Amino acid sequence: MTTPTSPSAVHDATADPPSPPSPTASFYDMSDDEEGGYSTIRHSKTGKGVKLLYTKSKVYVHPTPSAKDNIPGYIALIQQKPGLERSTSTASQTAVGSSRGAQSERNSLLLAWVPESSLGSASEIYTKVELADGDSPPKQSYLVPPPPITTAHSSGLGTYAFAVPLSEVFSILVRPPSVGWWFGSVIINTKAGDSFPALFFHDSECQSTIQQRKKLQRESFEISASGQGMFWGGDEVLRWLKRYVTVERSSQEPNIYLIDPSDADKLSFGSGGKPTTDNVRNVLEGKPKDHPSPSSRTKDAQMDPMMQALKSARWNFLEKMSQVTTFTRRTAQAVAENKNVPPQVRRLLQDPQVRTVSDEFDSARLYLARWAMGIAEQSERERNQRMWTARDVMEMEDSEVGEFEILDAEQMSLTDKRKPVTLKEWNGFFNSRTGRLEKTVDEVKERIFHGGLSPEDGVRKEAYLFLLGVYEWDSSKEERDAKMNSLRDEYIRLKGAWWERMVDEQGTLEEREWWKEQRMRIEKDVHRTDRHIPLFAGEDIPHPDPDSPFAESGTNVHMEQMKDMLLTYNEYNRDLGYVQGMSDLLAPIYAVEQDDAVAFWGFVGFMERMERNFLRDQSGMRLQLLTLDHLCQFLDPKLYAHLEKVDSTNFFFFFRMLLVWFKREFEFTDILRMWEGLWTDYLSSNFHLFLAMAILEKHREVIIDHLKGFDEVLKYVNELSGSIDLQSTMVRAESLFLRFQRMVEAIDKKSNFPVPIVRQRLPQPPSSPTTTTPGADGKPRTSSQSSSSTARQNANRAVIANGPGPRPGSSSAAASASGRDKTTGDFVAQGVGAEKEKVISPELRILLSKEVPKLDKHEVREHGGGVGS
Amino acid sequence: MSSRKKILLKVIILGDSGVGKTSLMNQYVNKKFSASYKATIGADFLTKEVLVDDRLVTMQLWDTAGQERFQSLGVAFYRGADCCVLVYDVNNSKSFDTLDSWRDEFLIQASPMDPESFPFVVLGNKVDVDESKRMISSKRAQAFCQSKGGIPYFETSAKEAVNVEQAFEVIARNALAQEESQDFNPDFPETIPINIGEENQGCSC
Repeated sequence: MTTPTSPSAVHDATADPPSPPSPTASFYDMSDDEEGGYSTIRHSKTGKGVKLLYTKSKVYVHPTPSAKDNIPGYIALIQQKPGLERSTSTASQTAVGSSRGAQSERNSLLLAWVPESSLGSASEIYTKVELADGDSPPKQSYLVPPPPITTAHSSGLGTYAFAVPLSEVFSILVRPPSVGWWFGSVIINTKAGDSFPALFFHDSECQSTIQQRKKLQRESFEISASGQGMFWGGDEVLRWLKRYVTVERSSQEPNIYLIDPSDADKLSFGSGGKPTTDNVRNVLEGKPKDHPSPSSRTKDAQMDPMMQALKSARWNFLEKMSQVTTFTRRTAQAVAENKNVPPQVRRLLQDPQVRTVSDEFDSARLYLARWAMGIAEQSERERNQRMWTARDVMEMEDSEVGEFEILDAEQMSLTDKRKPVTLKEWNGFFNSRTGRLEKTVDEVKERIFHGGLSPEDGVRKEAYLFLLGVYEWDSSKEERDAKMNSLRDEYIRLKGAWWERMVDEQGTLEEREWWKEQRMRIEKDVHRTDRHIPLFAGEDIPHPDPDSPFAESGTNVHMEQMKDMLLTYNEYNRDLGYVQGMSDLLAPIYAVEQDDAVAFWGFVGFMERMERNFLRDQSGMRLQLLTLDHLCQFLDPKLYAHLEKVDSTNFFFFFRMLLVWFKREFEFTDILRMWEGLWTDYLSSNFHLFLAMAILEKHREVIIDHLKGFDEVLKYVNELSGSIDLQSTMVRAESLFLRFQRMVEAIDKKSNFPVPIVRQRLPQPPSSPTTTTPGADGKPRTSSQSSSSTARQNANRAVIANGPGPRPGSSSAAASASGRDKTTGDFVAQGVGAEKEKVISPELRILLSKEVPKLDKHEVREHGGGVGS
Repeated sequence: MSSRKKILLKVIILGDSGVGKTSLMNQYVNKKFSASYKATIGADFLTKEVLVDDRLVTMQLWDTAGQERFQSLGVAFYRGADCCVLVYDVNNSKSFDTLDSWRDEFLIQASPMDPESFPFVVLGNKVDVDESKRMISSKRAQAFCQSKGGIPYFETSAKEAVNVEQAFEVIARNALAQEESQDFNPDFPETIPINIGEENQGCSC
């Protein structure tokens, strides 16, 4: 069967030619015998479908050095036109000559990279072809939608997919993986002198490579293909190519493989405007292509792919980073010597060229430190395949804080429980007739805390209302329906109230002014809240108020709903008023519920616990920052000592994270997962502080080794935004909590103290919002606390208000002025060795409580800063 | 610690929420404008190295939340400032009216040695918006600045990069002058006692 035969293949005439991008698999999944058919009929008729000869998955483009941005895809060899000759395993012979046939075959072959996300249902075929026995070309032919053909790498516009005719390929720059998990890469250079972005082979994720490796091992070959280094994905690609074209390794540049080189190429490789390593590098560095190489070729040829990545990253990123901070010159060196940094990164940092980069840019070091962190994190993730087990938690404890107790393995064996709760499972919790919960609340909360809710099936819409206290857990379906009906009425009433006031201009001048200002604030903030979410992105309706600053840009219905809900909340809780950050808290709830009345009451529930964050005197925030201070002293005295040294124990750098529950640090989808976990109060109603602590612990080495001042700490922590892995952070936070709990128990036992009754303490606002002078505050409201409590708060407030700046004696001076210092009772260890006795402050003890910290109404009135105060 | 030789100028940017503090800073440092900066929560800063009369200085520009209730925690950043930039929106008279209290608050919290001579700069932002929307005239703003001891005044547009560079040049210059005047008369000692903890009487041993 070497010639295309009859169109007998049209067995699938029933299957209409599908329209991309999501063709049905059956269409492409043709059987072997029909190969000829596809060639003549399918191709000429519709022009759709090309033959997938070989492919390999988990080949990534790394657009930035951040692993988060990596794009997974397939590298593929594709036949575009009717195959003229059936290639066999000896195909390379036919390709060597320059016969017409071979030439046109080369024209018809495409070397392509397609992102996974673009494949649609064709991905099944890709998987099939990938896993087919790779020793000979596929006996069956598989059709896939044709990739767009490109002959040049068009930078920008965010598309990295390409398909280049093999005849256009000049050479391939091949870099085998250098150490362990680091990825091998290839760069395809065209005859026109273009280079496509480097393709990185994540072999440990790639099924076919894993298979091939196993096979090599089974056949008692070494795991290496060429005798140098482990077999990897790139070897396989070269093997495919060799079946169709001449692939010749350059003698001058051992990492360059020439594709069908002409004699002239072979002779004069490296000149004549054809891409070479130097050219490629020069292009990457933004220099003229034929800029002379500054260093010897051999050295460059061994350049690590990591180096390549750094080089391409250099101009794009480092310059940006240079604006960031005021790092000391020693930092790069310090990073390079840090034992936690993977060896290859360490080596890289010691490279003279890289040093130049860090010297050129003041804060490249910060960037490199974070980058190294990202790489370490990624390797960790790869090893664990994102499945967190008790062992991981324990290992983490060992490595990060040391001296952790071994946790009960059973307790942490949660792999099963970590599956999200689906709508089906959720409905199963309730009696189908009455709608009453048939599990215990704690069981349900445990499931949600550990597994989260499914993002796909709408279970959140209902579950959130329970978590946010709109519905009682023990209610029946009927009761819930009735409640929702009355809540809807109430929402309309509240909304009408401010609306009327606005239209009729009721109230005193002062009140009117206040409302006008609230409206302005809300308007401004809604227009800058989560606009990257499609729901809030549009500006498709004209703004109702022609005087608004947004009158020209327009608005959309969801933003208008947001404004109404926030104003209505203002009406509902007039003592507090609108405060920045509230729009951040409302947006995810609204996005889930997409019903203004329902979302409003969910928000009201959320605000009951968040209210303390928004008080005029910031007492609630102070209390949480102070608690974090105590927690850090308690759990990690060494880190605390460093933070003390760099004037950062005000913990202000966590202000943003605590104020809006990490909303600015994570993607929207992560936020939903995190918040639903936090709303359960499963372990602690202040579990967010353990999340903060988990983030801090993750970066403790970098902080201790490199951050030398409050500004550096603040900048570093601010810049973590968008780079924190949620799942591992939550696991870490849980393990920190459990550790904390055990330590408290152990201390209590040791001191033979009866465990005091835990009560959620309310924030202790000072009498004047801006006072920094200790001793001016009101009485502590919780009589159950010890008598030193007032003094402690004074001192603590002094510490917080003291802030950064050169280290004056002021912190101790202020503390002394208030008549007290860190006395025996409260503070632990003072960061000086772990030998000191740890004592549990009331702030710490509250962390064991699951009771949600809510404020009394009168408290809000007093300290809220709303229209009533 | 050779890096200490570098001059670091700390500049605080204050003003009501939504007047464009973050935008101005980003326009100056990154030459970029985005209509969709989120409301600033907490504080952040950007740095930029600039030449002032042949001297290389690093400006550290501190951006803070505009809603007044967040200021009570923000005081931490005021300390050691070399210049304070007060921003208002020329189309929003309220944001102009509050300039005075922003200034007072800053002087109380930062407590510079010589409040009379501490450098401020006032920026009237959003001059790109249609003239019909304008609430505060140049004249009025200038009169205010005059009355406060001749504060330099610029009308800017972060969106269209109007006057931003010029304004920050003056800010840098004034901050440098302030920093140098401090050098003769250090506010606090340059060397810092390391073990303050040891001076505490009540340590828990």
